[in-house]
Amino acid sequence: MAATALHDDLFAPDVIADPYTYFGRLREADPVHWNPRGELWVVTRYEDLVWLVRHHELFSSAVIKNDRRAPSPPIDPADEPLLAEVRAFRSDQLVEHDRPEHLAMRGAVHEYFTPQAMEGWRPFVRAAVNELLDEVEPRGRMDVLEALAAPLPVRVITQMMGVPEEDRDHLRHLADRLLYINRGEPNRLRLLMEGIEGMIEYVSPRVDERAARPGDDFISVLARAERDGVFTRHQVLVNTALLLFAGHETTMNLICNGTLAFVRHPDQWELLRADPAGAARLATEECLRYDPPVKSTQRIAAADVERHGKTIRKGDRIRWFMAAANRDPRAFADPDRFDITRHPNPHVSFGTGIHYCLGASLARIEGQEVFRALAERFDSLRLETEELSYSPSIQFRSLAALPVAWD
Amino acid sequence: MARMLAIAVDRGRCMGNGQCVFLAPEVFEHDENLQSTVVNPAGAPEDVILKAAAFCPTGAIGVADAETGKELFPG
Repeated sequence: MAATALHDDLFAPDVIADPYTYFGRLREADPVHWNPRGELWVVTRYEDLVWLVRHHELFSSAVIKNDRRAPSPPIDPADEPLLAEVRAFRSDQLVEHDRPEHLAMRGAVHEYFTPQAMEGWRPFVRAAVNELLDEVEPRGRMDVLEALAAPLPVRVITQMMGVPEEDRDHLRHLADRLLYINRGEPNRLRLLMEGIEGMIEYVSPRVDERAARPGDDFISVLARAERDGVFTRHQVLVNTALLLFAGHETTMNLICNGTLAFVRHPDQWELLRADPAGAARLATEECLRYDPPVKSTQRIAAADVERHGKTIRKGDRIRWFMAAANRDPRAFADPDRFDITRHPNPHVSFGTGIHYCLGASLARIEGQEVFRALAERFDSLRLETEELSYSPSIQFRSLAALPVAWD
Repeated sequence: MARMLAIAVDRGRCMGNGQCVFLAPEVFEHDENLQSTVVNPAGAPEDVILKAAAFCPTGAIGVADAETGKELFPG
């Protein structure tokens, strides 16, 4: 089988730089693939991904709680005492729960994130995008990440948390630390722990405040859920942190990866420029499909499952790759083509089913407003580097920088 | 007696994200194309059905009063 000719290092530089080739080959040759090095199943076809995700009773989201294997890649031995605390933190995240707990927890925060409620944030997002771009436009160049993609989601989320503007930089620093979840560096637990402790310290007194004087912010929503017995205090703190980093890096990646796709496809950029307000909606969906912010997510098997002649055993880890499923020729015509008029575009970049991204509507609005504003302002964008570098993560598709210039 | 609702899923819009199935499983199910289909328009209280419609990421669900035809969502 061709797949056996592939190496099994999911953190190898070639896989990090270009996941589409590596996971595309797996998708065609061995769609349910056992990766011995990571001790996990790699699922890459669209139809399989959708089937597996929908069968949440067979594939538990409580991976941290149920998976006692040593961290992979290995961590610094000196950091092993941190493991228990990191696990306790992560296993209290909403996304690490199955039914029935997940239903109650998600139900408590659902209302806040409806598409209609998020539409109410569009004017704030638009103003923030314009403010950030006003600042850099006269310079003729920017690092998209530093100037736009990183500050925008932090502004939005801190506003949603109802915390003062002057705390933004501190929260962005904490968010950067929290992003060491699912990275490969040996010292990642120490950095992650800084983020966890910092968040707990920052958010705790604010939860008390909002419990006493509720507002319309997100921390008040969680404080109410604590009062109603749906969340414990630890879960309130953990899930406020989850909101911060889940909305941070993902949106950063949508903006950077989407902008890069436009830089590399001038014909599509021209299409967007012809009607920025009208084309931004479908264009954002195509950016999400073509180079998704999140490459993969993981589950742990709750039962033995047969698929493509393979037996996934109860307790096995499974990682499915939206990045590969979104390019599956069985699901998308001409899948490697970046086509901003593609419709329908049933990409799985937000997942599907009961764990479908809670912040999807917000992410869409942020993407739409950014691509629209860029197209309205700049005739053309050119890349100012030969080498792009991606963070060594199995989960996130994150550029380290995206320097562009315009005339 | 709760009023009867007419619930319509626009199949040109439904992407099968499953939020309606998640919120009102007695009312909505996925068909073989993984698109949402209404199995019982009286399977949940009206506020739950309206919530399911409101949470559809693609705005594919419309809800109306079955008797008067009055649109309740998007409304």
